[in-house]
Amino acid sequence: MSGGRALRDRVLVALAVLIVWQVAALVCGPHWISPPLMTARRFGQLALNGELARHALYTLAAAAGGFVVGGVPGAVLPFALRRAPRLAAILDPYLVAGYGMPKLALAPLFILWFGIGLASKMALVASIAFFLIFFSTAAGVRGTDVRLVAMARVAGASEQAVARHVVWPSAVPYVFAGLKISLSYAIGAAVVGELISSNRGLGYLIQAGANDFDTTTVFAALTALTLLIVGLNALVEAAERRLLRWRPVDAQPARRLVTAA
Amino acid sequence: MIVRGRVALGVLCLAIWQAGHWALGADWISGPVDIVRRLAEITASGELARHTMATLSEAALGFLLGGGAGMLLPFALRRSPRLTAALDPFFTAAMGVPKLALAPLLILWFGIGVMSKVVFVAAVVFFFLFFNVLAGVRSIDPRLAAAVRVLGAREWTVTWEIAWHTALPYVFTGLKVALPRAISAAVVGEFIAADRGLGYYINTARAMADPVGLFTGVTVVTVLVLAIDAGLERVQARSLAWRPLARDATV
Amino acid sequence: MSEGAVLLEVRGLGRRFEPRADRGEAVFAIRDLSFDVREQEFLTIVGPSGSGKSTLLNLIAQIDAPTEGEIRFRGRPIAAATAGALRPGWDRQFGYVTQDDTLLPWRTLIENVLFPLRVQGRLSAQTRDRASELMSTVGLEGFERYYPHELSGGMRKRAALIRTLVYDPPVILMDEPFGALDAQTRTQLQADLLRLWNLGRKTIVFVTHDIAEAIALGDRTLVFTRAPARVQSEHRIPIARPRDVRTIYGVDGFAETYERIRKELQ
Repeated sequence: MSGGRALRDRVLVALAVLIVWQVAALVCGPHWISPPLMTARRFGQLALNGELARHALYTLAAAAGGFVVGGVPGAVLPFALRRAPRLAAILDPYLVAGYGMPKLALAPLFILWFGIGLASKMALVASIAFFLIFFSTAAGVRGTDVRLVAMARVAGASEQAVARHVVWPSAVPYVFAGLKISLSYAIGAAVVGELISSNRGLGYLIQAGANDFDTTTVFAALTALTLLIVGLNALVEAAERRLLRWRPVDAQPARRLVTAA
Repeated sequence: MIVRGRVALGVLCLAIWQAGHWALGADWISGPVDIVRRLAEITASGELARHTMATLSEAALGFLLGGGAGMLLPFALRRSPRLTAALDPFFTAAMGVPKLALAPLLILWFGIGVMSKVVFVAAVVFFFLFFNVLAGVRSIDPRLAAAVRVLGAREWTVTWEIAWHTALPYVFTGLKVALPRAISAAVVGEFIAADRGLGYYINTARAMADPVGLFTGVTVVTVLVLAIDAGLERVQARSLAWRPLARDATV
Repeated sequence: MSEGAVLLEVRGLGRRFEPRADRGEAVFAIRDLSFDVREQEFLTIVGPSGSGKSTLLNLIAQIDAPTEGEIRFRGRPIAAATAGALRPGWDRQFGYVTQDDTLLPWRTLIENVLFPLRVQGRLSAQTRDRASELMSTVGLEGFERYYPHELSGGMRKRAALIRTLVYDPPVILMDEPFGALDAQTRTQLQADLLRLWNLGRKTIVFVTHDIAEAIALGDRTLVFTRAPARVQSEHRIPIARPRDVRTIYGVDGFAETYERIRKELQ
């Protein structure tokens, strides 16, 4: 299918979404569904008076901070465990349980321990990011072609060099996959923490708006959140494209939703 | 040797937990003993049953709603690749938005009763199932479909026999991921506004400075989720016995 | 080697493939292709890779439509550029065995073999017996409850074969069916195929790139040109039946036929 037609189709769908939105707002009333124009105006207001930036940055800080605190150990651990397969086997069920356990349900626990400030949100994000990054990196490490590793060892590389020059590049695509997934979860977790108790952040803005029955603010904040995530995603994808130039072009079949058969 | 190591680790964790309780005091970490006692209390009073049922029913209803749509939509979209391609970026964007951020809006619309949680859970579950099943439907081998048509199968058989069976491993992955998340979503929804449910119990405990209650609630949720996970693991293993490797089909 | 009436006629057949978005022009896989197939004959087709042999079979089996020409079966046109919807298998008149075994991986062996009968609504005690017989003939009895991935390549190929034979189509199309097997298994399966063919004298159109296989199995061999493929030549195989595939290379007539065809393909 040609690119031009696809683009046109998507623009059509976008228009359809806007129309449905406007109609729904008309039918249900602005109190329940804030119409597109009103939402856009409020969005502009909040952007101009700096409030949007303040709250967005707070959320971003919680997400980024937690992501680093949780993600770095998550990325490093698989490499360490590579040399200790028995320890890895012992830890395995605990890690799987930790991964399966919905950390968001623990949010009140983090608030109990770390208070209602930034720290509790970061802790929540960290707990989620750790497992996500760990498992995707582990998959990448495990998936390293053993023949390449053997070749490197034969050529005289130390274990560290093997890790740096063979295992890490091999794992990078998986790390990026984990990164992209973790991104929205990290922001989501920060928002949830803010929804439960906070006085700043996009989640707070949403909750405050809802409490005041100010649907327009809620919609505007949600839009800001969506834009934030889409923007971050684009950044990560750009970074990925640069770092993974060596991959054969069609190695990402998951990008397109076109069906076959 | 490995099993012993795991048991040892488990015991170690329990020991650390108990030590933390003694060291930091009941305000920060409740001891296992206190939790067990509280569990017994709320089981006897029926509170546990009441809250658990509320959360489970929200999760179940939302799961059926969102899961049903998420499972069926890819099969419907199979017949129209153009529509699917056009919708692609919107679905991905929608997936990116944390559905949890919609919770306050849903509560605004549907009140603090069961309904808002059900819709919320449905939204969360839908995307998980949708993307997984879509990947499954996309992975149908066209040669298999062609061969089966030559053998005399009608379109309906092709869909049922091939599309369904090819997508089944993906459906399971979706279910395994979505089911615990459904519970989690219900609980989180209850954090934000509810009048019953495990999330309500947990958050209220926190607000009323009742750490034991908080820990107890969290323990119940944890056990619930892990039990469901294990159960699904069993069911999946049996239904997918025909596969060469019992590996998850990941998206 | 009885020769019956003309069963299948291919007349001026052509299949043009549209250019892809990034590539240049349209390509004709086959063009101006004409030949006949007679009842109960074993016709082999040999040609260089990419010479449209698979395309031809897809067109006959009705899972693809021609852009020119037509195909007639028992005198009636079944495929033409202007025809309507495709009818894969043309009402179970055609069987189709491909190189990749298209067994359903989630069904057991017996379920796979009975599958066409089930979808055609022809499951009965009789047809089940026939299936069991066929399984014994190719040495698969005892493996009914196995899943495809638990069987060797040769066994899966045999299963694919009898899955087609079980519903008794008069014409069987075969697209390099043994290509993915090792040499010994291939010889064994060729022998099995001839044995099965002898039992029920079907009409077989067998495509291969292996000249020796084409001569060993066929009554008649067509040599195709490179794409756009046409019939380059036709060779009658002067070897009497029944044939022993294992010792066929030493038989009179094999070597010279082989040389003749090989030269043409150069």
